[in-house]
Amino acid sequence: MDKILAKKDFPRWLEALGAYDVYAPQLIDDVWNYELATDRKAVSLDYPQTAIPAKKIVFPQREFFFEFREADTDDYKLKELLPEGKPTVIFGVRACEGKAVTLTDLVFGGEIADDYYWKRRNAAVLVGLACASPPSTNCFCLSVNGSPHSKEGLDVLMTDLGDQYYVEILTDKGKKLVSEGGAIFHEAKPPDKKAAEKIHADSEKKLARELKNIKDVPAKLKGMFASPFWDDESMSCIRCGICTYLCPTCHCFDINDEVESQTPLAGRRVRTWDTCQFPDFTMHSSGHNPRPDKAARLRQRINHKFQYFVEVWQNYQCTGCGRCITLCPVGIDIIKVVEKVRDHAN
Amino acid sequence: MVKHEDVRAEAKKLLESGKVKYIIAYELGADGWKANPVFIKKPEDVDKIIWGPTCFHNLIRFVVDEKRRKVQQKNPDTRPVGVMVKGCDSRAIVILLQEKFIERKDVHIIGVSCEKTGVIDERKLANKLKGRKAKNVEFGPDENFVVTTEEGTVDLPASEIMADRCLECIAHVPVITDVLFGEKTKRTVPHPFGSVEKIETLSSEDRWKFWSEQLEKCVRCYACRSVCPMCYCDECVADTITFAVSPDTTAEEKAQKIKWLDKSPVISENIFYHMVRAIHLAGRCIDCGECERACPVNIPLRMLNKKLEKEAKLLFGYDVGFDSEKPALISCFRDEDPEDFIR
Repeated sequence: MDKILAKKDFPRWLEALGAYDVYAPQLIDDVWNYELATDRKAVSLDYPQTAIPAKKIVFPQREFFFEFREADTDDYKLKELLPEGKPTVIFGVRACEGKAVTLTDLVFGGEIADDYYWKRRNAAVLVGLACASPPSTNCFCLSVNGSPHSKEGLDVLMTDLGDQYYVEILTDKGKKLVSEGGAIFHEAKPPDKKAAEKIHADSEKKLARELKNIKDVPAKLKGMFASPFWDDESMSCIRCGICTYLCPTCHCFDINDEVESQTPLAGRRVRTWDTCQFPDFTMHSSGHNPRPDKAARLRQRINHKFQYFVEVWQNYQCTGCGRCITLCPVGIDIIKVVEKVRDHAN
Repeated sequence: MVKHEDVRAEAKKLLESGKVKYIIAYELGADGWKANPVFIKKPEDVDKIIWGPTCFHNLIRFVVDEKRRKVQQKNPDTRPVGVMVKGCDSRAIVILLQEKFIERKDVHIIGVSCEKTGVIDERKLANKLKGRKAKNVEFGPDENFVVTTEEGTVDLPASEIMADRCLECIAHVPVITDVLFGEKTKRTVPHPFGSVEKIETLSSEDRWKFWSEQLEKCVRCYACRSVCPMCYCDECVADTITFAVSPDTTAEEKAQKIKWLDKSPVISENIFYHMVRAIHLAGRCIDCGECERACPVNIPLRMLNKKLEKEAKLLFGYDVGFDSEKPALISCFRDEDPEDFIR
């Protein structure tokens, strides 16, 4: 059954979650980000969009695989460093980010599951916040199989009804989380449900941007691999990592050994985010780089999201959050680029 | 006031006569109020060109790209590229000329004066508008901006929403041009190093705390480096793997290439990266402030470079980016240079 939570009781719910690490949007130096809530009373869900998506909590920018240490013999001592999997709640997750996590799940799941990812993922409870109005002027979730109130990937979906939240429990994890709050949750009544549904329906009309008629884009992209189109489109690209690092679905990584001692040789193997937008991403040890310039790299970003991912997983690898548009220092606009691909002569 | 039509007419003339290869300018972005860089190749496209308080970008960054492209081409078109510059951007050209990265004939400089103001700071504006979305921002008649939102038009003083770099600007009129639009207004800047002086009053412990907290936020997207027209090295310590290797480089040689810093966004590596960048910009940073604007987590990067600009000024009487005939700060020595700081 759906629940109602008075806004004044929201801090009490957070305080009841003592066993969990709680992440929530916080404003630091004029930038919103999901941060560990040390003062749970101060958490507010009145925020637009974070710069760094919630993926950083289930897929941190840096994580350890194992530590190594040179032993007396010629051998190495290895110790796996799996994440603890401490129960974690993320509050205020937008629908596009919840959906994004389901896409990352596909990549790190499947035949060979990535234990490091899943330890954190399984321990994380995603509490969504429906967007009554678009948190960014560049939101376009409806155009890429999403919606401002999508439940995908979320465990709980909250909808702001003014002085209370309409709370939909979507999974067992969500059910447990809500039960921690005990009596502060009340049964939702039909008018509450109606109010939430109205907010959801209205929110769909408020998006300022859309990306229409893109079903032929994957096929189109396939034929445009060698097109000079990419040279023109990438002219203003400065080759930074913003569009990918801050994308909720980008998941590429690098693995390095970080040496902490030379004798005995010791250190840790770490995984960090990496991006197709950096020149060293595809650098071969021979000195050859198959993606030698920014045209090839912009093409890779668009192709991965609108062709390769569609071919493998039958979904766009873009959930329409608009971060790459908003935060690009030179205004490269994924909507415009994909529209131009769509309208490009065969 | 600079008129769009005048800049467009000049651009048209340049393209029609074939005097320039293309023109790097500003156009209106898809959001309808902010400028984006644009590359105008045909005379019929000049009407895209705009000028306004959202023309943040230092377009000299793309002159650097053009040079990179040119060295790859067998028979490059040697005509200059036209480029729109603000005062700060023009100082970047001076540096590139001093360092002989480009030649004067490589660029046709279309200067625009910032007259009484400069560009806005998007974050300051957002704070000011408290949730309302900007639809248009224009220069006001005085030291102000006219901002239009869905609720109407407001007049905001420059002191409240202008970028810090413009509040401390010492070159609001381009210092090197082929053609200049707008008035050569006079402006006094009482505290050109005001932002730095504020932090200089802190104790070293407090400064360490401040910078540790700031640099801890860095996600190492390298937007600060990538947007910088002075960061033109083909090989950067930040991604050492781009250091030249060829099919003949042996495995041993490759293994011996120094890994200067780890990819991990941890404080030691972040500080190392930002210090390397700051030091490499000493006497070269022209305070266009693009690093700070591009930073997605709002690290006050400009302050690091401003500090070194101040050092260059105080120690060597060196003004960065005003005279392309002068040798670069780092590549010259004068007998009277102070050395009492060498211990």
